[in-house]
Amino acid sequence: MGLIDELERLEGEARALIAEADTAEKIEAARVALLGRKGSLTGMMHMMGKVSPEERPALGKRANELRRLIEGLLQQSASAVRADAMRSLMASEAVDVTLPGIRPALGHQHLISAIIEEMEDVFCGMGYTVEPGRQVETTYYNFTALNAPEDHPSRSARDTFYVVDDAAGTADHAEKHARGESDILLRTQTSGQQVHALERGELPIYMISPGTVYRPDTPDACHLPQFNQVEGLVVDEGITFGDLKGTLDTFIRAMFGQDRKTRYRPHFFPFTEPSCEVDVSCNVCHGEGCSFCKHTGWIEILGCGMVDPNVLEMSGVDSEKYTGFAFGIGVERVAALRYDLPDLRALMTGDMRFLAQF
Amino acid sequence: MRVSYKWLKTMVDVPEDPQELVAELIRTGTEVEGVDTVGQSFDHVVTGQVLTKEPHPDSDHMWVTTVDVGAANLGKDGSPEPLTIVCGAQNFNAGDHIVVAMVGAELPGGVKIKKAKLRGVPSCGMNCSARELGLGSDHSGIMILPEDAPVGVPFAQYADLADTVLDCEITPNRPDCLSMIGIAREVGAILDRDTHVELPAVRAESGAPAADAVTVEIADESLCDRYVMRVVRDVHVGPSPDWMVERLAAAGVRSINNVVDITNYVMMLTGQPLHAFDMAAFEADENGQRHVVVRAAQEGEKFTTLDGKERVLAAGMGLITDNGRPVALAGVMGGLNSEIEDDSTDVLIESACFNAGRTSHTSRDLDLISEASLRFERQVDIDGCVQVADITAALIEELAGGAVAPGYVEVYPRPVEPAAIRLRLERVDAICGAAIDPDFTRRSLARLGCAVEDAGEGVLAVTAPTFRPDLVREIDLIEEILRLWGMDRVTATIPAAKNHVGGLTPEQTLTRKIGRILRACGLNETTTYGFAAPGDLEKIGMSEEGRGVPVRLMRPLVAEQSEMRRSLLPGLLESVNYNEDHGNANIQLYEVGTLFIGRPGKSQPKERQSVAAVMAGAWGDVTCNQKFHPLRFFDGKGIVEELLAQLRVEKVRFRPCDPESYGFLQPGRAAEVLAGGTVLGWVGEIHPKARDAYGIKLPVTAFELDLEALLRAARPQGAYRAFSPYPAVEVDLAIVVDESVTCETLEQRLRSAGGKLLSDVRLFDVYRDEERVGAGKKSMAFSLTYRADDHTLTSAEVEKVHSKLVAKVCRAVGGEVRS
Repeated sequence: MGLIDELERLEGEARALIAEADTAEKIEAARVALLGRKGSLTGMMHMMGKVSPEERPALGKRANELRRLIEGLLQQSASAVRADAMRSLMASEAVDVTLPGIRPALGHQHLISAIIEEMEDVFCGMGYTVEPGRQVETTYYNFTALNAPEDHPSRSARDTFYVVDDAAGTADHAEKHARGESDILLRTQTSGQQVHALERGELPIYMISPGTVYRPDTPDACHLPQFNQVEGLVVDEGITFGDLKGTLDTFIRAMFGQDRKTRYRPHFFPFTEPSCEVDVSCNVCHGEGCSFCKHTGWIEILGCGMVDPNVLEMSGVDSEKYTGFAFGIGVERVAALRYDLPDLRALMTGDMRFLAQF
Repeated sequence: MRVSYKWLKTMVDVPEDPQELVAELIRTGTEVEGVDTVGQSFDHVVTGQVLTKEPHPDSDHMWVTTVDVGAANLGKDGSPEPLTIVCGAQNFNAGDHIVVAMVGAELPGGVKIKKAKLRGVPSCGMNCSARELGLGSDHSGIMILPEDAPVGVPFAQYADLADTVLDCEITPNRPDCLSMIGIAREVGAILDRDTHVELPAVRAESGAPAADAVTVEIADESLCDRYVMRVVRDVHVGPSPDWMVERLAAAGVRSINNVVDITNYVMMLTGQPLHAFDMAAFEADENGQRHVVVRAAQEGEKFTTLDGKERVLAAGMGLITDNGRPVALAGVMGGLNSEIEDDSTDVLIESACFNAGRTSHTSRDLDLISEASLRFERQVDIDGCVQVADITAALIEELAGGAVAPGYVEVYPRPVEPAAIRLRLERVDAICGAAIDPDFTRRSLARLGCAVEDAGEGVLAVTAPTFRPDLVREIDLIEEILRLWGMDRVTATIPAAKNHVGGLTPEQTLTRKIGRILRACGLNETTTYGFAAPGDLEKIGMSEEGRGVPVRLMRPLVAEQSEMRRSLLPGLLESVNYNEDHGNANIQLYEVGTLFIGRPGKSQPKERQSVAAVMAGAWGDVTCNQKFHPLRFFDGKGIVEELLAQLRVEKVRFRPCDPESYGFLQPGRAAEVLAGGTVLGWVGEIHPKARDAYGIKLPVTAFELDLEALLRAARPQGAYRAFSPYPAVEVDLAIVVDESVTCETLEQRLRSAGGKLLSDVRLFDVYRDEERVGAGKKSMAFSLTYRADDHTLTSAEVEKVHSKLVAKVCRAVGGEVRS
């Protein structure tokens, strides 16, 4: 049997060997057995020297062809095995993607503070500062400096939480104390911050003051004894009622939607003049009238007005040179309108099911 | 204020459709809360004519009638069919025109008309008396209509009873609008139309002058600014005419008798509350003269008001007295002892101006709010008292046949001058931001009752009427002009905010960031009440030290909310309890809120911001992919650590809490949080006893940090620090130490011993085993990372540093390396 036949036989063997190799290890073993230093083909290549020079080119060519063939087969086999391995890995790793994901437990922001932040951002965008104030106030800042008459009903202990005044000399107010009143109270409105801002004497003023206020209302679906307001105050030269409208239109559209309309209804507040209430067009019926807006097409949203010159003068601001406007909005009311809350008490319980919705 | 559209029509031309006027009222500042149609309760009540009248076969006082109601009742063939009605009245005859309530009608008293049999005779309706129709007290027989009355017409239409009533909400600055005249004037100004109000005048005065009959004294001038009395003698008390009953009913006032009705009617007309006293109830002196004194009540004085209730008065409440004896609660309600009765003949008419504030206090303190007190507390027109007394006397003269005594008695210590106001037209435009026609301004003010004169270039001299106490200054007039001109017509502009910088302060930005971090850590923001229950700190064993004295409410809504909180924890524990009770097993809450630290001797407390959290249960319920451990101390501590790291707080330490000062925390599971030497707050597990106080079953981990201290400790972002590009060498080291050696101590020793090359220390295991480690000992296993900034460490270098570290640390803590 000549070498050429040997090569022929080796090709058959190699094909069979490689075909059987179905793992990376067996392929490597086949490679070593065929092409390794002691491999069959390598052995045959070494015998090439003993062949006659006439036969050598044909034999050499055949041997080289066989080598390339084996290399090709090995490579094919290897990639088939890799593909197989990948396939089985993929098959074994596959999951039901509809199984629940692994969720990090993120917390939620309380909707009232979220709304307050939203309002702050709208006004900061218009160049306002944010100035919250004290909750335990004096009657002066809560009422007197805001033009509320001495005997106004809102001052009575029915409408205001008074606190025991610990300072010396409060015995002077024996009569007031008998009525449950003192000079110190839980603020019933954030409007007192107007006065604090004015007294600071730094003009112009463009500020809002969000904060908690208190009124002796027994909690029910629509009332809480503790709720939040955002007060706004602008005092500058040349401020007009038109400026009030432009500012509040911008604010209301930012909060409730660009397509909403506003309506300014004259009203009365002791510390602004002219005063008005602002309505926003109903988002349920778009002004047609429905049960949500009590068939008026409008929803009352805030109170506002031009700062009363008395308020400016009491704080030492020249009301001839400076004019301004002020407004106050109830945050819970905005929340109730926006999210159709059936019961405000849910805002205070810390119920996880409630908080997680917002 | 209930405004009858029919009545209003007589005073000013109004649009046919009341809704048009409603829109105008709302536009100019009068809220209309309701539009009621009255007179429609007379469904199925029609005019009719008696055809036949036969005695009832089974009764000696009843009649069987047939009544023609025209097309209001149709027979089977569609032609009009008379009704058979059994009737007990005696005052009618066949042929009379009457009012018939047919089957289905509901009369004002609530009587429903049904098909009935009266002593065996079927009856299909009722022939009505005036009283049955709610039109007066006449019950002597059925109502007989004039002969020319049509048949079969709805009664409301026939009698022109239908009216529209606008329920107007009057703002406190507009007492003038609590009257029909005031509303008419307002409507006239809104619509730019004239008003026409005819007021009755006394025809003839007779008898002795009023001054002979009565004297008036105001003993306490702070109670009453003006007091006027007129006297009418020989009055016949009886029913009021229909038109007055109707107008009063529209205004929501029940008819009583002509004299009382007249006082109410004139009040509705003019806004001036009046009171009519029975003069006979007053004690006469030897000259037959009565003496009326307005004085303050004494503490505990008793008085029975018209409604029959005995009231215990407080000192200072206003009284009208007769010889010391109270006869009326000034400005609020008359007394039972001097009311007008059917046999009264001589009447004293009071038309006064009581002090607004005092009246308001009296009515609110007694919980007695009347139409009169509502008007006095908003200020009545002091200038109108005499004129209103005259109108009242004239109506009594006309409708009750009285003889009006000449003159009136009056006390008016300090006559009021109308306000004179300079109005600059330029200022009107400057405030409104609109160019308003000066003619509009002049006309509007005049229509509102002001006298307007030109006073030089662009200036008006305006005299405001006394019935508008809200018009005193220029701005008050500008408001009137703007609201009539139309707020909606003003162009919206945005102020330039020149020379002003806005935005959040660094503290506000940081506070928002704290919220974001806590939410990223899984906590949910909540709010709780600022109120607190007395002893709430003691209840959980929280020390009052550093928390001042409680701020106490004078009149709390409930006892559990009679103070202001000094810690956020009690409120949050309340929320944990609430959640547990409502089946929410996993609770993670935080709050940023105000604490009220009362200071003895000071009026106002220090208000301190605090941030606190409570956690109970787990992060979530188990899913096939996620298992959760119960939330305990280290979960809370981890959040605090993360928060402080995010805020770049330096020198953070956790120091075991002293159980004496932190009784509300479980000993050994509670730590004070420090930054440098400053205590920021605490973190720990709530003591089971404190949990019990709130009925909480699950372990609760909580923390509370002082927000201001936290903000002060926070550091700004520093410059970038390059990290070493050279590889690190990690070496594990387990040291066996006494239980008393804390992780903190050991870590500190390791770091100081490791020097610059030790870049990180990480505790990865704590192991206790009596046999292998020894009793009272623990093995703490650390992974130490060595790394140099400027070269690759050789093993020899690491070996050298590490062995030095081991020796030093073991010596310092009395530990040994666990092999």
